[in-house]
Amino acid sequence: MTEPQYRVTALAKFFQRGPTTVRALDGVDLEIAAGEFVALEGPSGSGKTTLLQLLGALDRPSSGDVIFEGRDLVKLPDHELASLRLRSFGFVFQQFNLIPTLTAVENVEAKLAPTGVDDIEGRARRMLEEVGLAERANHLPMHMSGGEQQRVAIARALSVEPRVVLADEPTGNLDTKTGGEIIDLLAGLAAEHGSTVIVATHDATLAERAPRRLSMRDGRLVGVVAAV
Amino acid sequence: MRYIRNELLRRRARTILTLLGLGVGVGLVIVIASLSKGLDNAQKKTLDPLAGIGTDLTVTLSPQQQTSSFGGPGGGGGGQDRDLIAANQSVLTDLSKLGKPGQHFVHDFFLPGSQLTFQQSAASQISSIPGVASVTTGLTLLAEHQQGIVPKIVATLKTQRKTFQIQRNIPRPTAAQFAAMQACFAKLRGSSSGNGSNGSNGNGSGGGSGLGGGNGGGGGGFGGGGANRAAFAKCLPANLRRLRTQFTTPQQTLRQVLNPPQTNIQTTPYTIGGVDQTHPTQGLVTTAQVTKGRFLSPAGGHEALVSDSYAAKHSLKVGSKINLNGTTFVVVGIVSPPLGGQTADVYLPLKQLQTLAGQKNLVNVALVRADQSSQVGSVQKAIQTALPNAQVASSKQVADTISGSLVNASNLSHDLGFAVSAVAALAAFLLAALLALSSVGKRVRELGTLKALGWTQGKVVRQIAGESLTTGVLGGIVGVALGLIGILIVDAWGEKLTASSTSGGASGLIGQLASATQRTASSTVSLTAPVAVSVLVIGFALALLGGLIAGTAGAMRAARLRPADALRQVE
Repeated sequence: MTEPQYRVTALAKFFQRGPTTVRALDGVDLEIAAGEFVALEGPSGSGKTTLLQLLGALDRPSSGDVIFEGRDLVKLPDHELASLRLRSFGFVFQQFNLIPTLTAVENVEAKLAPTGVDDIEGRARRMLEEVGLAERANHLPMHMSGGEQQRVAIARALSVEPRVVLADEPTGNLDTKTGGEIIDLLAGLAAEHGSTVIVATHDATLAERAPRRLSMRDGRLVGVVAAV
Repeated sequence: MRYIRNELLRRRARTILTLLGLGVGVGLVIVIASLSKGLDNAQKKTLDPLAGIGTDLTVTLSPQQQTSSFGGPGGGGGGQDRDLIAANQSVLTDLSKLGKPGQHFVHDFFLPGSQLTFQQSAASQISSIPGVASVTTGLTLLAEHQQGIVPKIVATLKTQRKTFQIQRNIPRPTAAQFAAMQACFAKLRGSSSGNGSNGSNGNGSGGGSGLGGGNGGGGGGFGGGGANRAAFAKCLPANLRRLRTQFTTPQQTLRQVLNPPQTNIQTTPYTIGGVDQTHPTQGLVTTAQVTKGRFLSPAGGHEALVSDSYAAKHSLKVGSKINLNGTTFVVVGIVSPPLGGQTADVYLPLKQLQTLAGQKNLVNVALVRADQSSQVGSVQKAIQTALPNAQVASSKQVADTISGSLVNASNLSHDLGFAVSAVAALAAFLLAALLALSSVGKRVRELGTLKALGWTQGKVVRQIAGESLTTGVLGGIVGVALGLIGILIVDAWGEKLTASSTSGGASGLIGQLASATQRTASSTVSLTAPVAVSVLVIGFALALLGGLIAGTAGAMRAARLRPADALRQVE
């Protein structure tokens, strides 16, 4: 078998909250292959978000290693992490996290611009078309519904053709129907662009749609639901 | 760039607040700086009285000093009051000389006020002092233009004739005297034939003395020889000759004005200066101060210059005629003399004024120019040493005597202007920095998102700094605009500032004279705030600096954010 995309060993992350130390992640070992669709289940505070952030090079672990495509993220300097985030990872957040002063198309451009590719506006518009928002391209986030905003966020995340899409509770602020549509969209597009998808959620029905389900409790993986 | 534009455009309220804050601060700085410059200009023009007339030092003679050794003024060596009263004699003129009581009269009285006159030749004494480049003289007089009806209340006092009489008994002659007398008489008798004409030779008027009879001596037969009485008297010993003396005091008529006469006389005081018209660049007034017309011609004819304020008050123009005690002077120019010390309303050629005022060859100010400005101090000392009774004033000392709202405002702008500017600029900077900080604070999630998207730290910092710098540039533009508007308002408002300089008015003089000798010159300047490009540039630079400070503050805060921490803050 080939080298997995992710090889996570003994990953731990502690936070100091006043006098007590919070063990957000307490020894996680994990391997994820390229192109996998993984659901990360668990209640609030179980460490899902922290794991996603460490996988996405948004943070550095207290101990342990995250080997991504053969490179140890722990040892990479900040600017290389930024470069990885830009080109290799796409994030989708629960709060959508669109830039409020930028229109839908500009929000997508904000991801494309630092890559230095040409025709960023054309790419951004094509991306919005893919998520079905072509006619909403020039609207500000505040004038869009939650579902529309999340679709913009997905367009933004996928615009650079990332190797991995990391989604943290992408349906948490959406009704069930819209949430389902979003997951369908995410799964469909990821398959189309050949991206790995890791979705953190506490919604079991949503997690059921993932071929691989990981369950977390208190900073540890408690059960691995094997691929169907 | 697009993001910066959008950020500023779509957060209009914040942007406008920041721009206004920076703009008002910068505008204030610009207005205050311009105002201060305007005041400085006004002060330089008005309060640097000597520079404008090509002079470093003025030399005057003060009544506070004894006047024995300086050029021999009209007064003489008495006490200060006597000098002044003597010098100002003409103001005490008997009004009855102007015409008969009840007649209308117009007359200009000229008096030197508290500046005593001295001989024009003193100028050459000063010019021989080393370091003195040139000396000109001037005569500044207080003039009283009076017109009205000659008053009747002129007292004519006749002093009583007085006769003094002294009477005394004549002592008897001694035997030796008697013998001598007899010998003398005998000799007279012998030559009596040739004495006829000789006796009538005016001796009768010889002190009114005569023989008052009672001389029991042997002179009896001699009485008939009337023509020989004088000769006969010579035979008497000295103590018999002085018999009776009579003194008569001469009759005198004194006329004098009793108190201010109660008539309709109107007095208009003004100052008049005698200018050495052959020195057009140095003197009481120079060609530099001519605003209309021309300077006095070197010939020194019946020409006059009038100050702009006096011309405005009396509707005088170039070509107007002024009549001074029967002599007509043509106004050839309007001048704007600098304040301080030696200004006048009307300027005449020096000779003309000396003649008019009866001050032949007398002046009361010498204007001295030093070879080099660095020598002014030593020249001042040298003149003071050479002429101990003179008052030698430098430009600065003269300026110090000037007061008024202009000086107050100027001092205020110097003292407060900088402080207010600094506070305004500081407040604007603080506001901009605070807004930038709070902007970053409120955008933590946004900045975290940008980092999550793959923006490098540098790019995020540049974004924030760029926003602030753009704000700074725009704030600078707003500030310059506000500043220009403020300057326009100040100019339109045209607050009038005055400066006045009072000299003379020595204490201890008799009432009327004291106030009459006080010399007050004033000048009104409209407050303007000249627009200086440098000030605008500085204002703009301040706004940029404010933007930079704000940008740095914001960027430093933004740079500290770790993407995960930034995102976590939201949850």
